[in-house]
Amino acid sequence: MATAFRATTKGYRADLEPHERRLLSSLCADVITLLQNREKETTDTPDSASEDPEFAHFRAEMAGLGGDEPLAAPTDEVLRRLLPDALDDEEEAGHFRRLSESSLRGAKLADLRTARMLLESSPVSIQEEVAPMFGRALNDLRLTLASRLNLETEEDAERVHELALASRSKDSEAFMAEIYTFITWLQESLFSAMTEFLPEEETDEDMGSA
Amino acid sequence: MSSAQGSTLSREETDLDSEFSRLLSAQRPYQVVVWNDPVNLMTYVSWVFRSYFGHSKARAKELMLQVHHQGRAVVSHGPREKAEQDVTAMHQFGLQATLEEAE
Repeated sequence: MATAFRATTKGYRADLEPHERRLLSSLCADVITLLQNREKETTDTPDSASEDPEFAHFRAEMAGLGGDEPLAAPTDEVLRRLLPDALDDEEEAGHFRRLSESSLRGAKLADLRTARMLLESSPVSIQEEVAPMFGRALNDLRLTLASRLNLETEEDAERVHELALASRSKDSEAFMAEIYTFITWLQESLFSAMTEFLPEEETDEDMGSA
Repeated sequence: MSSAQGSTLSREETDLDSEFSRLLSAQRPYQVVVWNDPVNLMTYVSWVFRSYFGHSKARAKELMLQVHHQGRAVVSHGPREKAEQDVTAMHQFGLQATLEEAE
């Protein structure tokens, strides 16, 4: 049985079973594949295959810089949740997506790859500096599972919770619900521990400061 | 703003005009809104507000609860560029966020 994350002198530590680490790592790999497929989908234009690869690269750069053509939101529900529209207006959102989506995808890929690397060791020990990356990756896994489980309202959340606690004979949905609940517990433990270490600074005069 | 009526400006020159209006829109104040969703944990959302915006524990909790109970909260104000940066950061954390012109 796993133990949740707790603070140590070097960061945070959780004891996970080998099959739990493998499961989390393979879920990360699934989301990585999904994001990479989206990358191909957004860079492959119908006529780019026949082009000189160097020129295609140059064109991709120009497309990113020019940002004149709006980029349509992904059709896949999970990708829509991981890479959401930033504006209500569809066309404006498409223009912004053209400029920003690849860096958002890149950041998520980096988080997920770091998480896979950290899941290689037992116990899972995470240094302070990489804890946010690991935590964001866990969050992306939860968003992915939630989307697959059609978890959209507080009532749905309740349904998923009940499903996870249900009988031993599990179908794939109940299994996903159980994994979702497991990752929720793990993420909660990590951020409860991380919260303790945040410096308490009163900077609220300047609300937007980053 | 000047009127282009009866103008003999070439296309390049009118493009300057649209460039000017784009610059003006970049000057207008924008705000970033975070929306409630049933997936993101309260602990996590508070942590994001504290670590990214540098809010105090109390202020982060207040904002998090506003999202939770009222369905949305304005988390940052500023020029368009700043709002774009903040909304992308919120998306990187997996929060549901949009940017809009400030009222």
